[in-house]
Amino acid sequence: MKKFFSGKRDSESRKLVLYLILPIFIMFVVLLQTINLTVINGKKYETKSENNRIVSRTIYPTRGLIYDTHDKLLVENIASSQLNLVPERSTDTLKKIEEIAELLDLEKSFLLDIYGIQIKKPRYPFQSITLAKSLNDEQIALFSVSSEKFKGFSVETGLVRSVVNKKSLAHVLGYMGYPESNDVDKSSNFISGNQVGISGIEKTYHDQLSGRVGTRIEEKDVSGKFVRVLSEDNAESGKDLKLSIDLDLQNFLIPFFEGQKGALVALEPKSGLIKALISSPAYDPNIFNSSSSLAEIQSIFSDDEGPLFNRATMGNYPPASTIKPILGLAALDEGIVDWNTIIQDDGEFYVEGDPRPYRGWKEDGHGKVDLEKAIVESSDVYFYSTAYDLTIKRLEPFLNKFGFGNKTNIDAEESNGLVPNEKWKLGYIGEFWFKGDSINLGIGQGYMLSTPIQISQAIAVIANRGEIIKPRLVEEIDESPTKLESLGKIKLKDETNWEKIEKSMIEVINAPNGTANNIRDTRYVIAGKTGTAQIKSYEDQEYEDIRENPFFRDHALFVGYAPIPDPELLILVIIENGESGSRVAAPIAKAGFDYYLTKND
Amino acid sequence: MTRNPLEFTLSSRMIKPNRWLNQDWLVLFLIISLVSFGLMMIYSASGSMEMVLRQGIFAVIGIIFMIYLSFSDYQRLLPIYLNVFWIGVFFLLVVLIIPSDAATRRWIDLGIFGFQPSELMRCVLTISAAAFLSRNPRIVLRDWMIVIGLSFFSFYLVFIQPDLGTAIMVLISGILPVLISGFPVSYQIIGILVILLSTPFIWMNLLDYQKQRVLTFFDPNSDPLGTGWNIIQSQIAVGSGSLFGKGFLQGTQSQLNFVPESHTDFIFAVVAEEFGLFGVMGLFLVYLLLAFRLVMIAKNSNFLFVKLVAGTFIFLLLTYVAFNTAMVVGILPVVGMPLPFLSQGGTALIINMIMIGIILSFRRTA
Repeated sequence: MKKFFSGKRDSESRKLVLYLILPIFIMFVVLLQTINLTVINGKKYETKSENNRIVSRTIYPTRGLIYDTHDKLLVENIASSQLNLVPERSTDTLKKIEEIAELLDLEKSFLLDIYGIQIKKPRYPFQSITLAKSLNDEQIALFSVSSEKFKGFSVETGLVRSVVNKKSLAHVLGYMGYPESNDVDKSSNFISGNQVGISGIEKTYHDQLSGRVGTRIEEKDVSGKFVRVLSEDNAESGKDLKLSIDLDLQNFLIPFFEGQKGALVALEPKSGLIKALISSPAYDPNIFNSSSSLAEIQSIFSDDEGPLFNRATMGNYPPASTIKPILGLAALDEGIVDWNTIIQDDGEFYVEGDPRPYRGWKEDGHGKVDLEKAIVESSDVYFYSTAYDLTIKRLEPFLNKFGFGNKTNIDAEESNGLVPNEKWKLGYIGEFWFKGDSINLGIGQGYMLSTPIQISQAIAVIANRGEIIKPRLVEEIDESPTKLESLGKIKLKDETNWEKIEKSMIEVINAPNGTANNIRDTRYVIAGKTGTAQIKSYEDQEYEDIRENPFFRDHALFVGYAPIPDPELLILVIIENGESGSRVAAPIAKAGFDYYLTKND
Repeated sequence: MTRNPLEFTLSSRMIKPNRWLNQDWLVLFLIISLVSFGLMMIYSASGSMEMVLRQGIFAVIGIIFMIYLSFSDYQRLLPIYLNVFWIGVFFLLVVLIIPSDAATRRWIDLGIFGFQPSELMRCVLTISAAAFLSRNPRIVLRDWMIVIGLSFFSFYLVFIQPDLGTAIMVLISGILPVLISGFPVSYQIIGILVILLSTPFIWMNLLDYQKQRVLTFFDPNSDPLGTGWNIIQSQIAVGSGSLFGKGFLQGTQSQLNFVPESHTDFIFAVVAEEFGLFGVMGLFLVYLLLAFRLVMIAKNSNFLFVKLVAGTFIFLLLTYVAFNTAMVVGILPVVGMPLPFLSQGGTALIINMIMIGIILSFRRTA
């Protein structure tokens, strides 16, 4: 190179080389910048390059279908046009959502709420959010005309959960909705950006029904056009469920609840399979599933009668006289009475040193009463007396054995109910346990609360001679039967008492003096017990005055099973403010037995 | 070698047998390597075999021109070289006059391919300027001023097409012979001042999209989906190429069209993405080696014409490389400027090969 700069004559070459320094210098800077881009920031640009080309698509599994016990379709998935949004592709999203709501005549606040919930959930980049479902043709047309304006928004076809029989199984099936954002990372299924089961079977069996979300990693070009699939993780469809519910029986019984609040449980005592489960009033789950109208949803939520509330498994009611057969067993087992023990019932019961009378439902009393007559005629004084003698110390564990105060473990949301004791009363009421509290417990009143499913399970124990069977709604999951589950067996000192107490319960219907004699049937034998639950103490007021207010009227209860000796069905009916277990509740159960037991003949 | 350059007679035997082997094989090898590599890159960027074939045909034509000219006797051709400038002017005027639907008038449509007169201009301007400046033993100021004047005239003809990038290169191809031939430093300073003072005037005459490009250069992310897109995407391409690249045909940025103009002005992004930092270094080495070989030819000649033509071409070659790659990696604004021998484009390729051929012919009379 030395030669280049020697010889004065060649000033042109020297100048040339001098000028060449400029582009060579720039090339050097380019090289430095290339090193900067590749080595120093290489990772960043690799990521950017990947993000450029890769799009991850969620493959939504098809949610499992739900059938009744006779394979009648209860819940299906129907195609609907839905408004989707890829937040990454949209700008000024909140304003755009408002504009779209206006354009499509959807509720602004509803769309914004859904967006607010959905955007917080874990999501793959460029995964879409569903803002509205069940768009009609007019809305689709309106959107497609001005879709240019709404970058990132699209109308796509998706599946929406649809309950075939609308209201009739609302509480059993439940509805779909958007989970609270803190529920989200519980399971990978929640990433789906889809609705989840909020109540009923949809909630309890969400994991089985929802299947597994799949993802497909796709390569796209600059225009977002699909190039090829890089990897695919297939979705697994949800499992189909077969409920033990007999839709025909359910639909047959629902009209009896027309205009009434109440609940019904019908189950097979031997298997625990639930054949009908009614909670009235009901609602249409499709209103939630399609999530189209905020006003409709709000009207359901704000309804005073609580249509969303599943009374059959969550309603806390005093079991009232339906508990008497169990208390009878307790008294027998503890040796307080035997079948021959006679108690004089003159309509009132007094505790020593307390002038306050404990009144029976029948003003003049039932006269001389043994255990069978006490059950058949539902003598309150007899059970005041035995409960007084048993005391809470022996009452509570015995009731607990039958499942009172505990969940039945049914595959639905349920309440615990309540079996009070000294500790509970001191803690919650702030008072000591009075003897009178035990006396009230004798007729299933006072502090005691139970759910319809609990009473059903407890009475089924008698039918099963001590075997406690877990009630269940699902008979088969993907064609494999669910298991019959025994929660234990109650041993009595004298096992013949099961049959004897059942005989008393048969007499409730069959004896002319039985409280449910009105439902007697010659074709089959029913064992049962009526109940009338006071919800307002009428010590100080006259009963007739209280009746003036329909909301203070007694709840009517009946529980029974048939046919004896091989019971196929147990039915419990509660009609809120129905006043008379025998006149109001029992006939409904009778209708159920008639329908169910004679249908197969 | 005292032959009067104007004494022009056509040689009956241009190719002398003993000269056949006296060829600069390295330069030929480097050129053919670059062009072949360019064809590969065009295929990778466009995925179009048709485009590769077209460019391949241009390359073959160019190589034939190059080899043919390398055997020519430039001294006999000097009278022609002196006047080729007017051919360039003619075509530049033609391209401006013929009606066109396009917003820019850069091409003369010859049916099977488009001919780009501005590329021809930067070649003929250099050759004529060099011939003009070296026609007398001593250059007077008037000669320089004529060349400078015609250079700006040429610049203007290209600038109004409008094609700022090529216009600047045309200007350089005329001005550089002036500078290399010993234009006094004092005048150079005056010239620089004039250019600096005229910058606002040039800015005012830039079209909106040209201004936008300059502005975007300073902040590419200000308009990520507009003008900044090119720079961002080509930077991603270069950066994601890492040390060794993603491999031939594996560059996702270019294969999936994220890099715009990837077979023409942004072909360097494809090189960097698919062959990485080492690929870039290798490419630069080839260009520098080529430049070095050509500098040696200029250095070994005693003729001013040779030094001016070779020097200007080498400078333009490296400037093209520098500006093009600087634009791709985002250190200079985006101006339309191809990467020599690699970018798709027939006119530039053939013109560059003609220039190489002319420079190679200088060896014979050295």
